[in-house]
Amino acid sequence: MEDKPSSSPMSFVDQIVVPGDVVLDLSTMTNQTIKLGGGLRQDSDAISVMKAGKLRFSKPNKYWVESSQKRYVPCVGDSVLGIVVDSKAENFLVDIKGPALAFLPVLAFEGGTRRNIPKFEGGTLLYVRVVKANPGMNPELSCTDASGKAAEFGVLKDGYMFECSTGLSRMLLSSPTCPVLEALGNKLSFEIAVGLNGRVWVNATSPSTVIIVANAIMNSETLSGLQQKIMVDRLLQKIQT
Amino acid sequence: MQEEPEMVTPGVVLGKAAEVKPGKGAYLAPYRNTEILYVYSSLAGVRRTLSPPPDSPDQRPVVEIIGHKAQGAVPEPGSVVIARVTKVMAKMASADIMCVGPKSVQEKFTGIIRQQDVRATEIDKVDMHLSFRPGDIVRALVLSLGDARAYYLSTAKNELGVVSAESTAGATMVPISWTEMQCSLTGQIEQRKVAKVGS
Repeated sequence: MEDKPSSSPMSFVDQIVVPGDVVLDLSTMTNQTIKLGGGLRQDSDAISVMKAGKLRFSKPNKYWVESSQKRYVPCVGDSVLGIVVDSKAENFLVDIKGPALAFLPVLAFEGGTRRNIPKFEGGTLLYVRVVKANPGMNPELSCTDASGKAAEFGVLKDGYMFECSTGLSRMLLSSPTCPVLEALGNKLSFEIAVGLNGRVWVNATSPSTVIIVANAIMNSETLSGLQQKIMVDRLLQKIQT
Repeated sequence: MQEEPEMVTPGVVLGKAAEVKPGKGAYLAPYRNTEILYVYSSLAGVRRTLSPPPDSPDQRPVVEIIGHKAQGAVPEPGSVVIARVTKVMAKMASADIMCVGPKSVQEKFTGIIRQQDVRATEIDKVDMHLSFRPGDIVRALVLSLGDARAYYLSTAKNELGVVSAESTAGATMVPISWTEMQCSLTGQIEQRKVAKVGS
């Protein structure tokens, strides 16, 4: 049975949608299991949009809305950059730019026991993973990956941290490598940590490299791949001359 | 024993400890610095004397004070209460006690359900978020008076737990097992520690 093209789900995918749009009609799709991600909600037979953004689809059956904000909503499995605010008996209080402070248990480190609890001062920057993120409760973090290994999580020493939108963080983490990072990596050597909560940390041997990388990333949010490459080339030319 | 409509205030002597036993609203205390114990009143109200059961070894009558304000129920250790969950945290959930047994309360009482009191088996593996959500109505047992802030409650029995809950879609949910409830509007299943109602 042919659907009218305007109501078929494929026409909404990769389009900008706003709250209230009905993107899927379950009565016309028989016997399929659909997984709904963030920004979508089920009202009996209609799937409607709750958050403004782009509707995305991934085979075989996942739909979600992607949008870019300055504020971060904690999700399980995300890797984020947190700043230690306080330390209590059982856990550290970490700010991850979400609605509530997150808890990082003092034992959530590789080989962590009661005898070797790390001492973090207020202001320490950490690369952590979100373990639990239920609405209404404080999120829980961990400095190990799912199997218990340290895997790059932990304190980020030196370097420079700046904030950006969540959309830019996702672009920097996309694969294949984001054009701006590739162009910078060809000429400069630096290390970078990107948090899905809109924080980026850059470290390099010379401060000027750090500044170039940070500025290039901040400028690249609205540029297309080719524009990013051109912007980086121009920036690097200015430095050399 | 005849009823005495005698009004007493806190601190009034009700009798000697050798002659009467303190009931509700009365307490035992030594008279000044001596060792003689007297029964004093702790509330302002009407004094009432209850005769002892004839076959008990202690034949002293019980004196109690009926306070003029005592109409609302007060949770006691061992009573079953109905409470609404207000906050769910990693190791405990807070609830506002609404009824004690069949009577509703007149003032605000707070209860706490700790992680180890949610159920009887595997108490270290309890996930509070999969047992309660804010807004759920639960039936719980009062374990103790707890601390200054809240009573300690327990749902570690089959007939205790979530009695009524709303799903994320806003509809009342129907229990399908002791761990799951289903939304009546969307059919989504959510996890709760469900109370067994009926036989």
